[in-house]
Amino acid sequence: MNENQKTEPTRILIIDDEAPFTRMVKLNMQNAGNYVVETLNESPQARIVAKQFKPDIILLDVVMPEADGGDVATMLRESAATKEIPIIFVSAMVSRNEAHKGLYQSGGEYFLAKPVSSDALIDAINQVLL
Amino acid sequence: MPKVTPTSLNDRPYKLLLLSSDKSEEATLNCNLSNTLGFNYSLLSIEALDKLKQFELQSLCNAVLLDLRIDHQVALDSIRYLAENKGPIALICLCQNHSQLHEFKDIMYLIDDYILAESLTNGELPTRITHAIRRCRKEHELLTEQNLLKALLDNIPDAVYFKDTKSRFTKVNRAMADSYGHSEPDRIIGKSDFDLFTKEHAQPAYDDEQKIISTGDPLIGKIEKETLANGDVKWVTTTKLPLRDKHGTIIGTMGISRSITDLKEAQEALSRETALLKTILDNALAGIYVKDRDSRYIVINERHAKNLDAKCAKDCIGKTLKDFYSPEDAERSMAFDEQIMSSGKGVENVIDERPTRDGDSRWQLTSKVPLFDDNGDCVGMVGITQDITQQKKNELQLKSTIQTLEETKLQLIEAEKLKTVGRLAAGIAHEVKNPLSVVLLGSEYLLSKEQDNPEVKELLNDMRQAALKANDVVFELLDYSSPHEMSLVPTDINDTIEHALTMMRHNLRKAHVTLIDERGKDLPPVFIDGSKIDQVFINLILNAISVMPDGGELIVRTYTKRMREAGSNVSSEMTEHFCIGDTIVVVEIIDSGNGIEGNHQDKVFDPFFSTKTTGEGTGLGLSVTRSIVDMHRGMITLTNRKDKTGACAQILFPTADKA
Repeated sequence: MNENQKTEPTRILIIDDEAPFTRMVKLNMQNAGNYVVETLNESPQARIVAKQFKPDIILLDVVMPEADGGDVATMLRESAATKEIPIIFVSAMVSRNEAHKGLYQSGGEYFLAKPVSSDALIDAINQVLL
Repeated sequence: MPKVTPTSLNDRPYKLLLLSSDKSEEATLNCNLSNTLGFNYSLLSIEALDKLKQFELQSLCNAVLLDLRIDHQVALDSIRYLAENKGPIALICLCQNHSQLHEFKDIMYLIDDYILAESLTNGELPTRITHAIRRCRKEHELLTEQNLLKALLDNIPDAVYFKDTKSRFTKVNRAMADSYGHSEPDRIIGKSDFDLFTKEHAQPAYDDEQKIISTGDPLIGKIEKETLANGDVKWVTTTKLPLRDKHGTIIGTMGISRSITDLKEAQEALSRETALLKTILDNALAGIYVKDRDSRYIVINERHAKNLDAKCAKDCIGKTLKDFYSPEDAERSMAFDEQIMSSGKGVENVIDERPTRDGDSRWQLTSKVPLFDDNGDCVGMVGITQDITQQKKNELQLKSTIQTLEETKLQLIEAEKLKTVGRLAAGIAHEVKNPLSVVLLGSEYLLSKEQDNPEVKELLNDMRQAALKANDVVFELLDYSSPHEMSLVPTDINDTIEHALTMMRHNLRKAHVTLIDERGKDLPPVFIDGSKIDQVFINLILNAISVMPDGGELIVRTYTKRMREAGSNVSSEMTEHFCIGDTIVVVEIIDSGNGIEGNHQDKVFDPFFSTKTTGEGTGLGLSVTRSIVDMHRGMITLTNRKDKTGACAQILFPTADKA
């Protein structure tokens, strides 16, 4: 897999209405290693962007104004082209205990607490994709 | 009465007074009288009555011998005067013959005896004088007696009557006639009770009288109700006796009746009053009683007997509270009575609480007044006592309900506050964490780029730390408002503390705080949710560090303690949490800071109370800490330490068996 990573960069789509956040994640991820990062701040366009970009993994915000994380996930899973892409929900609405856990699962979904450090983010992505 | 013997006509000499104009007459009399054996006398002779008028005749003589041969008019006047004034003195006239006597025939009845001149010498004179004197005396006596009896009968207010064997009145007195509306006593003569009264009274009276006649036994002091024909009712007390003739044969009855109508009416009024009083006493909704000077019950109603747990009111008479209360209660109550009686001042509406035999409490509302006799001396007291136990219990319950309501209100206010915090926290979490993420990721990115400049690196590190710190504050808010779910596991509290200390070791070292570990060994397990209690200790240690900016010491102490008794050193809060005999695990976290300011003692656990400047704390730490301890049925106090300056947080946990 490591070999693979070096040759084929991991494609990450990050969907969050906060542009500074998505920008910051993109910067850090690109700085950290072999990642191609696409950002999307308008959640309703998630399916189109995902179809085009074909990410290996999607980082999805939960609380968003137009279509929230839940809507977006449903949308993506309804489409054959995107339904297999793993999603990590990145949410501010978690408790201290949950936040301490780093990546955790709840109701069959992956969660990661905001604010998140780049190390934690990479850890989480690696865990899901392995 | 002088005893008469054949040899002596009189024991005492008779004093005789001769009224005659003939001086020789005295000698003649003396001559005739002195010759009689056994007749003693003295004779005084006067010529005219006028001389005697200044004297009391009765002391002067026993008999007057009036010589009718004096002047006719003088003789007439003398007879009239003597008849009127002589009393028991005998008036004997001496006359020449019967024809002379005849001249006085109109007033003959005033003369007791006479003697003819011709008889003077034949020795008849002393006998005549003696008999006349005796007869006069007897007559006088009888007359006196008769007058007395008449006066008695006429004036006595009691009815006196005599009846024949057929119970018909033969004589009644004035009072009797008056009382039955007859102006003259004689009008009743010949009538019977059946004519005066209804048969209801007449028949038994008749039967009584017939019984007296047949048996001779008197009826004494019988109380009779007389219903008159007009419907009036009279009450009399009657005594009836048999009336006998001189041979002892019963010829009727005599009786005397005294009206006791007024007495009877007074008595009946009194009985009515007594009955009324008894009705009031027996039906009053309060205990009413009278005590004598020695606090003995002399009057008591059933209600108060019930207050005393006595069988009945009658049972209480003559007894004191010592017979009903415990010695201490009795003494206290009786001292109170004594105070009222000796001071002469009553009390109104005093509420008294007294334990009952079954360990419950009884409340009474009592008013007492001293009782005085005519001389103004206190002879006892009157009391009225109402059992207000039920009202009092209701009142207490109401108070407790009000208190519960107050507490609930406060809890609601706090809950409402928490809800607001919760809503805020959720908003803040979202709104703050995104920017924090940006800052955090931004500083990390720059750190990775800026390898060479140590100053910039330090700055970026500070930024990163600040973002993490801000994140902690948001978590605290979230913790505070998140629902409390716990999973209680029997735990050695020392392990939990160890965990918290491990996390805090770095902070302690950085703040130059020395840890003094005084944890006890082999503590009994406590039922706790480790992650939550962890937070309690972390909060307390962080607090301790924050009050020692220049470093200091932190003592962490654990031990067990047995709840022995509720006393002055045991707070009421403690007795609410724990029972006597419980084993308690105690954790103390003691700092060497400046301690708590006096006016902050009550507030340290209030949400949003903080002594830190804005930005350094949320004011939620201790509040959260306490609610976590509360959830474990534990208790937390924060006090100043006694040995030196600093504060001591003490947490008490019930041991596993209790929780």
